[in-house]
Amino acid sequence: MKVAAFNDQKADGRRWNLSERVWGYVFAAPAMTLVVLMALAPIAAALWLSLRHRLPIFGVDEFVGLANYLDLLGDERFWAALGTTLYFTCLSVGLELPIGLGLALLLDGLTDERTRFGRLAQTVAIVPWTVPTVVSAQMWLWLYQPDYGLLNYALARIGVAASIDWLADPRWAIHAAIIMDVWKTTPFAALMMLAGLKALPQDLRAAVRIDGAGWWDGFRSITLPLLTPVILITLVFRTMDAVRVFDAVYVLTGGGPGNTTETLSIYAYKTLFQSLQLGYGSALATAMFLISVILSLFYVLLLRRRVRDMV
Amino acid sequence: MMRAWILLSLVSILGCTQRDDASQAASKVLIFKHGRLSGDERTLSGLLREFERRHPGVTVREEVLPSSSDQQHQYYTMSLDGGRAPFDVLSLDVIWVQEFSKAGWIAPLDDPPSTIRREDFFPGPIEAATWDGKLYAVPWYIDAGVLYYRKDLLERYALDPPRTWPELLRAARLVLEAERDPKLVGFVWQGRQYEGLVCVALEVLRSNGSDLWVGDRDRAEEGLQLLRDLVWKHKISPLSIGMADEDSTRRLFGEGRALFMRNWPYAWSLLQREGSPVQGKIGVGPIPAFPGLSGASVLGGWVLAVAKHSPHQKEARDLIEFLSSPDVQRRMAMELGYNPTRIALYAEQPLLDAKPILKDLLSIFLSARPRPITPYYLLLSQAAQPELSALVVGTKEPRDVLHAIRRQGDRLLPRRVRTSAEREP
Repeated sequence: MKVAAFNDQKADGRRWNLSERVWGYVFAAPAMTLVVLMALAPIAAALWLSLRHRLPIFGVDEFVGLANYLDLLGDERFWAALGTTLYFTCLSVGLELPIGLGLALLLDGLTDERTRFGRLAQTVAIVPWTVPTVVSAQMWLWLYQPDYGLLNYALARIGVAASIDWLADPRWAIHAAIIMDVWKTTPFAALMMLAGLKALPQDLRAAVRIDGAGWWDGFRSITLPLLTPVILITLVFRTMDAVRVFDAVYVLTGGGPGNTTETLSIYAYKTLFQSLQLGYGSALATAMFLISVILSLFYVLLLRRRVRDMV
Repeated sequence: MMRAWILLSLVSILGCTQRDDASQAASKVLIFKHGRLSGDERTLSGLLREFERRHPGVTVREEVLPSSSDQQHQYYTMSLDGGRAPFDVLSLDVIWVQEFSKAGWIAPLDDPPSTIRREDFFPGPIEAATWDGKLYAVPWYIDAGVLYYRKDLLERYALDPPRTWPELLRAARLVLEAERDPKLVGFVWQGRQYEGLVCVALEVLRSNGSDLWVGDRDRAEEGLQLLRDLVWKHKISPLSIGMADEDSTRRLFGEGRALFMRNWPYAWSLLQREGSPVQGKIGVGPIPAFPGLSGASVLGGWVLAVAKHSPHQKEARDLIEFLSSPDVQRRMAMELGYNPTRIALYAEQPLLDAKPILKDLLSIFLSARPRPITPYYLLLSQAAQPELSALVVGTKEPRDVLHAIRRQGDRLLPRRVRTSAEREP
């Protein structure tokens, strides 16, 4: 039966006189078209726009080549936003990975997802990540209220008398956003790494224990090296997300006070949609895109070397 | 059975569409885009049904945008820049009219109907809605910055409502020292990095005879210094002011935890409603000034305009004429608390009886001054916001802030605007 169907297909292919290779392209075409339309075309449009001065209210629309990018190099606000973005990314990802790994180990060691407690623990751990960012940012906005927010109340209860102006104090504001981001996305990192832990060969870990190695030795010489690819992939995901952070910071502070929390995406948003400098805003967006590309290339190299080492 | 159900639902869907088509063919559908109004939404829809009764063959469909001004601006610019906007009548913040007129997004009201005479409206909004000598929009409701104060607390210490900044400082210090209430603060205003902060700064600087982008530099610097000192030297405004907007200050004042507040008149009815802790204990007056000078509130409010590419120009103008008529403005004032833009309404006894605050607001509205009337206002404001925010949270000095703001102004404001503003007292 199966053989007959296969032969029929082959016969059809001969009738159309197309090689298997061409058929491959034909079948892939709808999906490729979709990708081009949905992803590549907008990127190309933004690139094109970034080479123009386009200001609807000035009635300006002209090709200027790389002028926008040259302006970008001398734009203090751009460099400040880039600095803020990288600071945010390093700190939040740097905290999320270790905490997420700890959480994953805890969930892996303490629980078994077949028990009711195990399922419950996993579900609870993932909750912050499932809440939409705008909603959780709004929640944190309340927590951060200096007078009646829960955070300062809790600090006062444990003896910290100074009430902190979490969002209005320029030294604290960006850290407040980082704390919220860590709370929100650590579960994602934990989930990724928990899946990695579950996939590790159990006999290896058991063998280590039989050989008399302690937990730490086992973790350091068996679990961690085997988990590294998963950790790297988590790192890539989280970094890409953190570099383009928008909603969390925008809801919390709107980029203030005094632009201390303005990330690249917030600057691009304000340039594009509030002051309507479409060309310059697109150049900003393209710069963000390039930064992401550079970062991901770096990670790809890292991953490839890592995998080669392991093989 | 299943098939019968599917058939039935299909038929009913088809039936619906056909009926819709038929009614659309018989009447013109006007789409009216506006931000969400506070209060009962049935008031406005009731008024629109009345318009439909008076104009047979026209149906008005409301499409409501979020109440955030920034989000509305984003929606309008994105859909209008595309060329064909999917609406006929829109409500705009007064600060957008120049921008939208210059971009050719809204249509000028050439020879407006006899019911819309410029001299019937407050001068501020009319000035803001005029571009290149032509009226592009009709004022719908008006706002201006005002000072709220706790009448009960001032009376307890035999203090008058402050007319000058030193009086306000003195009153705040005296009351705070005597009350010894750690929860009470002196003066709250909008200090977050957004448009509201620009309004506050403009009011302080104008009350010293200067301005943000034009005018005397020393006086402007003195004004900025006061703004910063309120938080850092006099400490009558908390540092959390750096994140405060209209609603958060209104809530703080509404809980009875502030002596003075700068806000828009919308807060009045919310503060005075049943169950509010400060009900009956508050008063409202003009923004204080520097000694020997008079203050001027910043003008706010919304106007109505016709989209340039709307196919129903005449009907759209009829709708604007209707919505800005005295009858509609009276009802919006009574039922929703939106302040009329027609001066004559402020002399109507029944309206004044129902809304006594209008009497206090009249002189404030008459003297309120618009923000710089230029298509580039949003660019100016965008660039000034981070500077002013840095001033408020204490990371930048008044001199540097003013320098940065003035540099932007020199780049963007046409010379004509600068010199005319400098000539003003």
